[in-house]
Amino acid sequence: MLTVKDELQLKNITLNIRKKILRQIKAGRMGHIGGAMSIAEIITALYFKIMRVDPENPDWPMRDRFVLSAGHKCLALYAVLAEKGFFEENILDTYGSLGSKLPGHPNMFEIPGIETNTGALGHGLSIAGGMAMGLRMDGLQSKVYVIMGDGELAEGSNWEAAAACSHHKLSNILVFVDRNHLQIAGRTVDVMSYEPLDERWRAFGWSVREIDGHNIRQIVEVAEAFPFEEHKPSVIIANTVKSKGISFAEDRADFHYWKATDEEILRAEQDLLEIERRLKG
Amino acid sequence: MSELKDPRKTFGEALVEVGELYENVLAISTDSSAGSGMTPFKEKFPERHLEFGIMEQGAIGFASGLATTGKIPFVVAIAPFVTSRPFEMFRNDLGYMKQNVKVVGRCAGISYSDLGATHQSLEDIAILRTIPGVTLFNPGDPAEIKNVVHAACEINGPVYIKIGKNKMPVLHQAGYPFEAGKGVVMRDGKDVTIIGTGTVLSKAHLATQILEKDEIDVRLIDIHTLKPIDVDIILKAASETNYIVTVEEHYLAGGLGSEVAELLAREGVCAKIKMIGIDDQYVKSGPYEELLSLYGLGAEQIAQTVKKLLL
Repeated sequence: MLTVKDELQLKNITLNIRKKILRQIKAGRMGHIGGAMSIAEIITALYFKIMRVDPENPDWPMRDRFVLSAGHKCLALYAVLAEKGFFEENILDTYGSLGSKLPGHPNMFEIPGIETNTGALGHGLSIAGGMAMGLRMDGLQSKVYVIMGDGELAEGSNWEAAAACSHHKLSNILVFVDRNHLQIAGRTVDVMSYEPLDERWRAFGWSVREIDGHNIRQIVEVAEAFPFEEHKPSVIIANTVKSKGISFAEDRADFHYWKATDEEILRAEQDLLEIERRLKG
Repeated sequence: MSELKDPRKTFGEALVEVGELYENVLAISTDSSAGSGMTPFKEKFPERHLEFGIMEQGAIGFASGLATTGKIPFVVAIAPFVTSRPFEMFRNDLGYMKQNVKVVGRCAGISYSDLGATHQSLEDIAILRTIPGVTLFNPGDPAEIKNVVHAACEINGPVYIKIGKNKMPVLHQAGYPFEAGKGVVMRDGKDVTIIGTGTVLSKAHLATQILEKDEIDVRLIDIHTLKPIDVDIILKAASETNYIVTVEEHYLAGGLGSEVAELLAREGVCAKIKMIGIDDQYVKSGPYEELLSLYGLGAEQIAQTVKKLLL
C-alpha cells in the first residue's frame, strides 16, 4: 500500500536519481542517458519500496537480488546505489575518468551493491534465473528483480532463459521490460519487432502485466502483487519514454548514448529544476 | 597394454565422490546427462541434478547465477557446445564474474571422429585460455580425471575440464604426486623432452617407449593443467634437454604448443621446439585411432617426428 506521502517521497527520490544520472554525465561528458532516465521510476521503486537490501551489509544472504540485464543503463543503478548509501556520492563525479569505479557497464567488484557484471545484452535473465533457483533451493524467501531493455529482447539467449525460468517454475523472479520503444538504430518495431510482446512472454509461460513505467504508484502496486500467479515467473512490461525528464532528448534514439555539450547539460539541469518546482508546487 | 577405462564413466564416478564431499555440488545437464557420465550422480542426488534441455548458453548463465548463491555447478556437455557456442557467457558470466562454476567438455578433440567438425573441439583451449582467471585442466589418464575433478572443487573460481570419449590407458600409479598447476615428470631424460597433455598423453608415453629402444633418452612431462601452466618444469626442460616436443589433440594455434612457445618467448629463452597437433583445417571423418595417425598423433608418428629432429 502506498500513501500519498509515500508517493510524493518516491517522486522526490526519483528526481534525485535523475539529478545523479545527469551529474555523472556532466562528470564524464558522455554516457547512456536514454535508458538510465527511462528506468528512473522503476529503479527508485525497487530500491526504496520493494526490495529488501541493506547498504550496511550488501552481501546479506537474505537480501533480494537486482540484475540490470541492460547493463548500459548503469548510470541509474549507480545513482540509486549512491542515493541508498551503498557508496559515497562523490564517486559519481569520477564517471568517465581513468580508473573510475563506475565503468560504462557495471562491475560487481568495483562498488558494493552490484550483483552482476552485465553489459553484453541477453545475459542477465539466465543469471537471474540461476539466482532464483539457488535461493529457492536454500529455502530463502529472497526474490530476484531484473530490468531488461526492449531492444535487448532480440537476443535469442533471453528466450532460452525465459523458457527455463518457466520450466523450472521460478515464481520468485520479476522482470521489468523497460519498453521505451527505441534502440540505437531506431524504433524497436522497425529494427526487429517482437510484437505482440505480451503474448510472447505469455507463450513462454510467464504471467504478464503492463503498466506506465513512469507512474510510481502503478509500479509499486503491481510489483507488490508479485508473484502474479502461482508457480510462474512474472514480467511487467513498463511503457516508458527514452531520456524521460530531459525535454530535448525524450523519445529520441540518438540520445541512446549522449556526448553532452555544456549548453545541453545546462538545459538538462534546467529541465530537472522545472520538475522540482512542479513537485514542490 | 595397461588397463583401459572409460573417461566419461570415470568422470561420473568422480562427480559422485565430490558430490558426497560437497553438498553444494550440482550437476547441470543440457539434454546429455547419460552421455556426460552423470547418471550415477543423478540417481544418488536427484534434487541436485538440473536439466536445461539443449540450451548451452542459458545453462552457463544459470550456473553463474546458482554459483552466486554458493552452489558449485558442474556444466557438462559435448565440448564445443560448452566452449565455443557459449563463449561470451563463459567469458562474462563465469570469467569476468569469477564464478565458482566447473565446465566439463566431454568427447573433446576429435574423439567424435565420425561425427564431423561440428562435434569436435580443437580450439577450446585456445579460446578459453584468453579468459583471465580460468583454470584449464586436460587430464591424461583416468586417475588424473579424478584428481582434476577434486582439484576443481578446491579452486574457488571458474574451471574447464577437457575429457575425451575413447577409453584411456592407466598411466599413473595410484597416489602419484598430483598438484594443480604442476606438471608431472613421468620419465626423466636428457636428449629430448616430450610434453604431452590430455587424450594423447598415452601416445606420447608409447612413443617414449619406442624411442627408448633406439637409445634416445626422453624426458616425458604430463601437463594436466594448461592454465596456469607449470613455468618451472618447462624452463627446466628447455635448459636441460636439446629439444621440446609438444603433443596435443588440439589445433596448433593456441594450444599447449603455443603456450610453451609463448612462455619461452616471454622469458627470452632460446630453445628448439616442435609442435605436434592439428594444423589449420577441419579434420576428416573416420575411426579415431586411424584419424590420430593421419594427423601425426599416433605413437609411431610421434616417435618418427622426434627421431627426425635428432638426426
